[in-house]
Amino acid sequence: MDFWFSYITLAEIYVLLGLSTNLLVGIVGIFSVSQAAVFGVGAYIVAHFLLAAEPMSFLPALGIAAVCCVLLNVLVTLPALRVSGDYFVVTSFGIQLLATAVFTNWTAGTGGANGLPGIPPPDLFNHPLESTGELTLLCTAGAALGCLAFYLIMRAPFGRLLRAIREDESAVAAAGKNVLRAKVSAAALAGAFAGVAGGLYATFLSFIDPSSFDLDASILLLTMVVVGGARTLAGSIIGPFLLLALPQVLTLLDIPTTIAASMRQLLYGLLLILFMMFRPQGLAGEKL
Amino acid sequence: MSAYLEVAGLQKNFGGLQALQDCSFAIAQGRITCLVGPNGAGKTTIFNVITGFLRPDAGHVVFCDRSLDGLTPQQVVHNGIARTFQNLRLFADLTALDNVMVGLPRQFAEEPLGAIFRPLHAARQQTKRREEARATLAHVGLADRADERVRNLSYGEQKLLTVARVLATGAELLLLDEPASGLSAGALDSIMALLRRLQNEGKTLLVVEHNTRVVQQIADDVLFLHQGHLMAQGTPQQIIADPALAEIYFGGAI
Repeated sequence: MDFWFSYITLAEIYVLLGLSTNLLVGIVGIFSVSQAAVFGVGAYIVAHFLLAAEPMSFLPALGIAAVCCVLLNVLVTLPALRVSGDYFVVTSFGIQLLATAVFTNWTAGTGGANGLPGIPPPDLFNHPLESTGELTLLCTAGAALGCLAFYLIMRAPFGRLLRAIREDESAVAAAGKNVLRAKVSAAALAGAFAGVAGGLYATFLSFIDPSSFDLDASILLLTMVVVGGARTLAGSIIGPFLLLALPQVLTLLDIPTTIAASMRQLLYGLLLILFMMFRPQGLAGEKL
Repeated sequence: MSAYLEVAGLQKNFGGLQALQDCSFAIAQGRITCLVGPNGAGKTTIFNVITGFLRPDAGHVVFCDRSLDGLTPQQVVHNGIARTFQNLRLFADLTALDNVMVGLPRQFAEEPLGAIFRPLHAARQQTKRREEARATLAHVGLADRADERVRNLSYGEQKLLTVARVLATGAELLLLDEPASGLSAGALDSIMALLRRLQNEGKTLLVVEHNTRVVQQIADDVLFLHQGHLMAQGTPQQIIADPALAEIYFGGAI
């Protein structure tokens, strides 16, 4: 039972990340490969406040993390607001490497490669959520709110504006709309999603280290969006649930544990390539 | 009478190419003015400068006694000037209706907070605005194509849709870049009728056009541009009758 709860909880956290990535990459067309970095900052901030000598309670810490990630994501996508497409991928790649370097080497703040152990479970109104069931409920609520926000945005004029921007920025400007402001808003929102996901992740696992927030993690997020389906809510949900199930399926096969991790990366890579070639719209999405 | 739109001394160089050279003209309110001239005369550059997509190296644009110098495309639209593009630039994956709705000014929930925290108000407002957009589509004759994706529309329908999108902005002065090019005879007639209708409703039109038949039929005034400079101005009859202009236009010099 606990196994299922853990799987669902983790998948729900990745649903928030999928929404974040989908919003930026799928809908606005800002091809970010550094969403895991923003996710990591959210996780470290929440861990920092909960591990402090006088621990903060969970919700305020999560709020601070969300605000920081909003600012951070706007900052890291800023180059994309001015230059287009291809150049930004390189910039974003650099940002991701930079973040990994900081996570790994800033030992005083992040525990370095050893990570931060013993992060207390989240609490709601002085009630610590210690059982897996309660944590699952919390993450379900978080993911549901995220999905609701995503849904409301996509059916509002803001969603239409973002889709139009991905297709033709000049035409949007010619229609009298502020392209820059819309992109900044989308980046801010994607940052909030990633920050909240980070906070939930840190408290759920009670241990974080840089390997969860590196380039591989960013590419996993992209794979989730591509496989699930870009630009749709359903795609952002299906992708994480499917790709997180994959390692579990692999454990059923008789593979030595030493190569299981690389096997997983191999499969993720293969999936990404195959979907791009044969089904670019993913399982439940539109063409990227 | 003060001019409705006036451009004065516009200068624009692209590297060594002088796209606009001391280009000046004025257009009057409520009229259809056609901008003609050979390829490379600077017609589209003029559009780009007026609508804020390009900064001129020198010169001024004044609209209704307000200077448009240094404004962004978005601010130019808010001042009442909207444009179409020669290559249409429609949102191909969106429906015809959504293309028009992008152009509607002052929509609620065009930012995330309104969309998330006041969803019911946003939905109600959007229902209202959708009717507005449908009316605009009906106005250009695309009522029954509203929910079709743009990629499934014929070229003629797409051209009409570009006009609907600029109409949605509420602009008074419409800059249309070759609205009639590449159209069949039937589509040509319907777009010319539409332009006339817009004029009767009080819009002012500045139209880049190559087809002399179209120019003769719709233009009140013609501006003849050559090498980035206004070479002649007059009625369509005067311009077409001028052998020197025909020589330039049809490349007789070679």
